[in-house]
Amino acid sequence: MQRRTFSSALAFMAITAVTVLWAATATPAQAAEELRVMVHKSFALPKPLLAQFEAESGVKLSLIQAGDAGEMLNKLILTRAHPIADVVFGIDNALLAKAQAAGVLDAHGVAVPSGQPQLGSQVLAVDYSYVTLNYDKAAVAQSGLPLPKSLEDLTQPAYRNWLVVENPATSSPGHAFLLATIAGLGEEKAFDWWAKMRANGLKVSKGWSEAYYTEFSRNGGTRPLVVGYATSPAAEVFFSKEKISESPTANLFLKGGVFRQLEGAALVKGGGQRPAAVQFLQFLRSPPAQQALQTSMWMFPLDAQTPRAEVMRHAPEPASFESLPPELIAQKGSQWVSRWTRVVLK
Amino acid sequence: MKLPARWLLPVLPLVALLGLVLAPLLRLAWEGWSGTQAQDFSLWRLWQDDYLRWRVLWSLAQAAITCVSALLLGLPVAWVLARFEFWGRQGVLRLLMLPFVVPTLVAAMGVLALWGPRGLLGSWLGVDLQDTPWLLLYGNLFFNLCLVVRAGVDALSQVSAQRVAAARTLGATPWRAFWRVEWPAILPWLASSLCLVFLYCFSGFGLALVLGGQRYATIEVEIYTLVAHELKLAEASVLALWMLLLTGGVALAYAAIERRLAAPARLDAIPRRRPQGAGQWLALAAALVVLLFFCAAPLLAIAWRASQAGAPAWAQLLDEETLAALWNTLRFSSLALVAATVLGLLHALAVRRSLIWRAAVFLPFVVSPVTVAFGLLLLYPQWSASLALLVAAYALLAYPFVAKSVAAGLDSLPAQLPQAARTLGATPWRSFWRVSLPLISPALRRGMAFAAATALGEFAVTLFLSRPEWTTLTTLIYQRLGQPGAANMDAALVLACLLMALALLAFMVIEWPATGPQGQFGRPAAAGLPSAPKADLRHA
Repeated sequence: MQRRTFSSALAFMAITAVTVLWAATATPAQAAEELRVMVHKSFALPKPLLAQFEAESGVKLSLIQAGDAGEMLNKLILTRAHPIADVVFGIDNALLAKAQAAGVLDAHGVAVPSGQPQLGSQVLAVDYSYVTLNYDKAAVAQSGLPLPKSLEDLTQPAYRNWLVVENPATSSPGHAFLLATIAGLGEEKAFDWWAKMRANGLKVSKGWSEAYYTEFSRNGGTRPLVVGYATSPAAEVFFSKEKISESPTANLFLKGGVFRQLEGAALVKGGGQRPAAVQFLQFLRSPPAQQALQTSMWMFPLDAQTPRAEVMRHAPEPASFESLPPELIAQKGSQWVSRWTRVVLK
Repeated sequence: MKLPARWLLPVLPLVALLGLVLAPLLRLAWEGWSGTQAQDFSLWRLWQDDYLRWRVLWSLAQAAITCVSALLLGLPVAWVLARFEFWGRQGVLRLLMLPFVVPTLVAAMGVLALWGPRGLLGSWLGVDLQDTPWLLLYGNLFFNLCLVVRAGVDALSQVSAQRVAAARTLGATPWRAFWRVEWPAILPWLASSLCLVFLYCFSGFGLALVLGGQRYATIEVEIYTLVAHELKLAEASVLALWMLLLTGGVALAYAAIERRLAAPARLDAIPRRRPQGAGQWLALAAALVVLLFFCAAPLLAIAWRASQAGAPAWAQLLDEETLAALWNTLRFSSLALVAATVLGLLHALAVRRSLIWRAAVFLPFVVSPVTVAFGLLLLYPQWSASLALLVAAYALLAYPFVAKSVAAGLDSLPAQLPQAARTLGATPWRSFWRVSLPLISPALRRGMAFAAATALGEFAVTLFLSRPEWTTLTTLIYQRLGQPGAANMDAALVLACLLMALALLAFMVIEWPATGPQGQFGRPAAAGLPSAPKADLRHA
């Protein structure tokens, strides 16, 4: 008899599960005013702040996460015939030219104070950070070696097996770091450097999380140096287990090893809700959002008037950095990645 | 004209496979070929480029090596678990499936906590296995051994006791009896699980990269880069189609083997008994050590690291964010499980003798997930950010387990019982509901348990569009590991423990022991067969 009970239980379970869950899952009929915002996986702003925007603007925000920034742009390009978002956040200077060439964005028309770094007429710059090297203070001290003073130093036998980088083919910080070396050293010398690094025990990870949480010496790996973000030392303090007054990691700014990542938001061509969309762009530049994004996305606010979060004192900015014209990145970016794969992995 | 009901069975799975798997792949290929970039690729690039060819050959080699190792290790373990009764046996069978649920990066952290350069065992033994093929093989076994062991246990549980006894009476040694009686009977089940192991390893995406390093990247990684980062769709689809051809070949070969070997089981299972004598206890201990070493150790490492995390990390379990993620995980997985069960049952019932249908069940496993995800965007932009599509993707990735398991159950179902029911006047539906379904219920439940594990573990679901309000436990773990800081790592480890506990609970509910008169815990249906359906028919 118990077999019969099982069958009935199965059917009962299925029916209740479907009805209850689908009822719980199905969203109530959407209000007409909905702003679809496509964001990359690192986008984060406090919920109350977003709710406040919704209340003030009268539109409902519908955030769509589309993977990392490069993946997101490609999804946008693929769906340009039937846009799936009205606004996009997370186009940076490495992706800008590709987005422009694909014709997926519209001019925003928002006036920006002169003197600030900008991303052209289509992307409204919102925040910035630097892709650079982070080092594990304890591991470096333990090694007894001085910090390397240049990228060239890292090719010395003493620094064998010190560095882990992300694969530029699968990771945006990895890609930015490759661009930094090319901008800082020149294309030929940069690839020479990568070849020497390969011989000197360079480790390549798929993405930032893999590098930071399985290879970096601070988290169980052996590499005292990792390609990461200039804000990470501050995040280490913010997300420490106990209260600490000094970060366990620090930035190592070397010539050819710092890339400024300037990111912004834009209107999607063919998207709707124009007034609300422009309002959202302005909201991202507003003081509360600029204040909040520092510790939610770990980026520096673009608006110079916005006070820095207290914890950001652990994340000093570099005196100089590399950059490349977006057009050049769009034109040669994928060639460089293939060449990098040839030099470092094949 | 009235259409026979069984013609309607394959409609739903067919629509799902065509609409959500094949059509997106072809749409993406079309986008690539019709685009401007179509000139500079060759159909044969996969075989002309040394680097790519090496990757394919390596993928094949590591998948084959994993299959052989999984069989050599898994079969003896399965035999012990199937023949001996001991306290905690059911618990072991449930725990076995946990590796499936753990997010790849967390699993890698667990493995490295043991074997990494600064790992517990690594530093103790003075070996550093990171970046060696050994660690990759270990990782593959960690994920896949359970498939072989579970299939082996179920297969061995339905070997005919009389035949083994007859062989022994005729003077066969236990070894010979195994080789000539048990082995042929369990071969179809093992073939099915090995095929799955092969496909998983061949198109593996995450763990191989983290543990083995970029040198061991499979072609799937190349396809991912081409689609997601470079948008070279033509090249990517050529690679994806080649992979489909290769893996499809494997699936077809498997289907042919299974169809040839499928035979109704005899209904006299060998009863389990307590180990007797030092040798048998030793065998049991050895089996448990193998499981502990390959499957449990990395999980224990995760649990141990989580236990060191301290109060704040555990307190986050009551956060609004965690609870919301838990609720999402629950409802998405349940929805996916229900859908996967329906699809799987229909597919299995439609399979019967068709070779293509048998092979088609592997389709969701063998197509490149990234091409499907991007193809869906092109095909159905209006639904791309809808929950229905996300849940459908979960269900699609989970349903082959149900279909495969039920198909195996149906293969070994003796034809006489449903026939007898029909003779006694039962409608086909009633005969299925009252006779066949109860008989295949252990197979169904095993399939459902794996399907639930897949849904909870969310393979490849990160490739699809999502929304912040749909955050599940797995995505929350990846979010935590997307930011620096010791607190984030602790939080991720604790969340991984929560996910494991949830999965264990799910497995227990799904495979809830049918407490029959014999009081046997989850005894295979075949054992209780002769009495139960007869009683049922009498009441019918």
